[in-house]
Amino acid sequence: MTVPILEVKGISKTFGKVKALDSVDFYLQKGVVHGLLGENGAGKSSLMNVLSGIYIPEQGTIKIQNKKIDRLNPELASSLGIGMVHQEFRLIENFTIKDNLTLSKANIFLENFKEAYLKYSEIFSLNSSYNTLVKDLSVGEKQKVEIMKLIFKNSAIMLLDEPTAVLTPQETSQLKISLETLSKEDEKTIVLITHKLKEIKDFTETIFVMKNGKMVAENLQTDEVSDKHLIELMMGEIKTISIRKDNLKGETKLEVQNISLINNDEVNVLNDISFNIKSGEILGVAGVSGNGQVELANVICGIQQEFNGKVLINSNDVSGKGVKSRKKLNLSYIPENRLGVGLAPGVSVLDNSAIREYFKASYGPHLSKGKMVNYLNDLIKQFSIKAPDVKAEISTLSGGNMQKLLMGRELISNPEVIVAAQPTRGLDVSAVESIHKLIINQRNEGSAVLLISEDLDELFKLSDRIIVLYEGRIIKEVDIESANIESLGLAMAGINE
Amino acid sequence: MNNYILSKKLFRNELSTFYSFLIGFIIALFVGSLILLIQDKNPIDVFSLMLKLSVGSINSLSNSLNKAIPLILAGLGISIINSVRLWNIGAEGQIFMGALALNFFYINSSIQNSALYIFLLLTASFIGGSICILIPALTKVLFGVNEIITTLLTNYIVFGLTIYLINGVWKDPASLNFPAAAYVSELVYLPIIVGKLSSGFLICIIFTLLAFYIKDKSVFGYEMRIAGGSELTAIYAGISAKQKAFLAMLIGGGFAGLAGGIELLSQTHRVSTGISQGFGYTAIIVAAITGMRPLGIFLVGCLFGALTIGGSVIQTIGVSSYIAEIIQATTLFGALVAQFFFSYEIKKKVENG
Amino acid sequence: MVDIQFIGLLNATLQAATLLFIAALGELITEKSGILNLGVEGMISIGAVSGFIAAINTGSLFFAIIIGVLSASVFASIHAFVTVVLKQDQTVSGLILTILGLSLSSLIGKKYVGKKLDVKLESVVNIAEPDSILDIFLSQNIIFYLGILLMVATAYVLKRTMFGRRLEAIGEDLKSSDSMGLKIAKTQFIATCVGGAFAGLSGVYLTLSYVPYWTDGMTAGRGWIALALVIFGGWKPYRTAFGALLFGFLEALGPRLQTYGFEMSPYIVKITPYIITILVLILLTIFKNGDTGAPRNIGIPFFRENR
Repeated sequence: MTVPILEVKGISKTFGKVKALDSVDFYLQKGVVHGLLGENGAGKSSLMNVLSGIYIPEQGTIKIQNKKIDRLNPELASSLGIGMVHQEFRLIENFTIKDNLTLSKANIFLENFKEAYLKYSEIFSLNSSYNTLVKDLSVGEKQKVEIMKLIFKNSAIMLLDEPTAVLTPQETSQLKISLETLSKEDEKTIVLITHKLKEIKDFTETIFVMKNGKMVAENLQTDEVSDKHLIELMMGEIKTISIRKDNLKGETKLEVQNISLINNDEVNVLNDISFNIKSGEILGVAGVSGNGQVELANVICGIQQEFNGKVLINSNDVSGKGVKSRKKLNLSYIPENRLGVGLAPGVSVLDNSAIREYFKASYGPHLSKGKMVNYLNDLIKQFSIKAPDVKAEISTLSGGNMQKLLMGRELISNPEVIVAAQPTRGLDVSAVESIHKLIINQRNEGSAVLLISEDLDELFKLSDRIIVLYEGRIIKEVDIESANIESLGLAMAGINE
Repeated sequence: MNNYILSKKLFRNELSTFYSFLIGFIIALFVGSLILLIQDKNPIDVFSLMLKLSVGSINSLSNSLNKAIPLILAGLGISIINSVRLWNIGAEGQIFMGALALNFFYINSSIQNSALYIFLLLTASFIGGSICILIPALTKVLFGVNEIITTLLTNYIVFGLTIYLINGVWKDPASLNFPAAAYVSELVYLPIIVGKLSSGFLICIIFTLLAFYIKDKSVFGYEMRIAGGSELTAIYAGISAKQKAFLAMLIGGGFAGLAGGIELLSQTHRVSTGISQGFGYTAIIVAAITGMRPLGIFLVGCLFGALTIGGSVIQTIGVSSYIAEIIQATTLFGALVAQFFFSYEIKKKVENG
Repeated sequence: MVDIQFIGLLNATLQAATLLFIAALGELITEKSGILNLGVEGMISIGAVSGFIAAINTGSLFFAIIIGVLSASVFASIHAFVTVVLKQDQTVSGLILTILGLSLSSLIGKKYVGKKLDVKLESVVNIAEPDSILDIFLSQNIIFYLGILLMVATAYVLKRTMFGRRLEAIGEDLKSSDSMGLKIAKTQFIATCVGGAFAGLSGVYLTLSYVPYWTDGMTAGRGWIALALVIFGGWKPYRTAFGALLFGFLEALGPRLQTYGFEMSPYIVKITPYIITILVLILLTIFKNGDTGAPRNIGIPFFRENR
């Protein structure tokens, strides 16, 4: 085995009481596509942040090109050839592709931009001219530009954080081919960071597995290791945290009939959507972001009042009525945009906690702060929210606590109908667990739950039935027993067998 | 520098705005002293004279408090509008419009010697201020037009309108070398409470409490806060952000208009360019520095009123009245800089997760 | 042979436009980098008074221009420091500096009120009795031509140089710019000081050519019009120049209306530029669907994420 292009040994990193990385060893071979596998919160992102110089470890050594590096920082890491593509893109929307690729000081293709662009846009199957504005690109195309940025700043080591999360199966195959080409022809060293088994097996040549901050397997040869072994490594003994699906289902609580919606650009964002959800039932909505999920939620929850079709809650027709009608019928909405829709930025924790029920704390025009504080204390107790200063601004809370506050606020009234969009996005393992528990509890209490999620694993875990949204219509509908990931994945890309 | 990072403090120090202001004021006194020393004047003498002549007697104290009224009312209006995260740069114009509206109503009605009539006049001035901000409010709420620029520009339009009126239709023939409108009858002068203190100051106190109540204790204030945080959240909560913003602007404009009306009925007694000398602008900064708190605005307003009076009298010993303005502006500036140290801390860019 | 009245009108228009345009161009640069500077009025004033004082005391116009430009730029650096380094609210800081700038210049300029300059900024080409449009264009003074040069230079730098593109990138998207390794603080600081320098140049033009002497409040709100001009011009140098011409025309027209037979009060004419600005701003915002060309990040301070 040749000298690794990058090698870290004994890396440890602690945040408060949490050991994010526990004596981790990791190494990369030049020109190879590596996989870093692990559940959400296993430490993958933390390790990558150490490699990119964003986190500084308390212990451990880092060697790049066989040279020991004492103290890494983002600028140094970048100059040493380490580049990362994050899940949130860093592209300037109003600028062209060319601008986004060439404005960086690290751009190496100053003179021969055109040839370079031609070469790499072919490798990535990016069919847009470099003068296209980034905002006019699809999500998948934007990601291609993000990866190209790494090429253009001559990153020898490319770290890709959950790249397939936003891609259709077609785009995923394209990505696989591009990465193969890059590693073979350009000798790029690639690390694919993911929690998805399928991607690891498809894309990579060698696999590292992390669990609870530790590296539990190093350099497994992809074509030799079994799925079962990988799952065992990732999750430990298969604790059946599987949810009992023998829940009693009662009356129909939410009914949606022939919903259609045309937006300002005359596009059909919702197309003849009909379904119903019974008490004690969870209906999962699968689909790549941007296929009508947000619009559907807005219609159901009264934010979008102009549409064709009907929305009935407990047989009450609320079509055309606003948010207040939903509150009266005890519908709760947990929007995917936590800080920005569900919670108001720049506003205190106390004020945010009262958004759903503030009129209950009022006597005419007067608002009783005492009542608001009591209400918040109830929430804090019931949902174990860590909020030391209630007058502090909301974003001083951690992501997990913000989501708990949001969900607590919406669920404490034991709602009849719950619409939850991407409820566990970006949260660590324990937070995800508690949120799932909350949802299941509500289901058991008789709520009808509409669960919109990009995470197929989550949908499989929690749902009784799953529908797939594609370009605003329901392209597939299955019971959980007859569902399988392949056909759902294809449906998400618009292919219905 | 690369290993350090600015981060917002997690716990707000309630008194931090007060401390910042204090620090700013001390710095301003220091700067003022320097300027005086350069001009060969003794700062202690000058400041003690200013103190004596601004708060040293009932008369001078009343002058100071009277001077504070428009600053406070305009500042309160600005703070209400800021609840929805909008800026009102047009307080200066709204003050004038308030005076214009009052005069218009006065000319076109029969004068009565009653409190009710004065009440109506002042209501007219409140409405005048609201009218002044109407177009910026509508265009902001309906089309999203930048309210900083529109409110600013209305200042010049209203001021120009004032000049036009006092040189034209409302010109007082008796006032030869200084164009102004005719004096209003003594019957509608605002009564004096004590010394020279106008009852306008009482109105000021009432409106301070009103602004405090609206912002801090009312449902409307809560809805404004949510709307100001995020229009999307407001929609999500069933609050019409546009409606709240529109109302907030009209009310805020009205506060400033009322200031103009009080100024007319208690100080100038007629429409002239003397209705306001820049208080509409100073009020913006006073409001901002106190963290948009009505009670703070009241206190700072009184202080600045005293400073202005003190500044005008020291001209008699040959010191430019601009000293007062510079002290005011430096106070605000110093407070702004001091706030930085209270809201942020420099942390080592390492631990967080 | 063109009407003498028209010649006078054109001349006045160009001069008023120059005054407004240079300050507006400076603010355009500042705003393009993401910083809102409401202190332009104060900066023009500082440039005006210091340039005037320098001219009186040294008799050198060249020196006076330099002093005026530099002092306004230094004054602007205060705003830059407070907003870029201390990351305080840009609106508040700018407003304070306007008040401070105006009162400081009143204070400093007090002794110079009523004084007359021995020197005046002369026309570059000396035409005794200009009687054609071309003559008028040639008989402007150096700052006018400087203004044209700056306009072309600014447009070129913003669109065709790395520095300019990066400046625009920073005004558009702070996070992405930071991840590209662009120097945000340095760029914003420079852009603010350059904006102040331009305001100072405008102020110098005011006291050394347009008026030319010093009195209190002679900036007469032109700094605010300059701010409005930037919006009017959609943050594009050439369109801003067009706007400046339009406003200059209105300012020049005011006192001349009666000679053209209009019976409008000069006071009303004086406020037409403001009314027009509001109308244009409203129309632009409505019809451009909010896409007025404004840098997306304007007014927002930058915090590197503490992750």
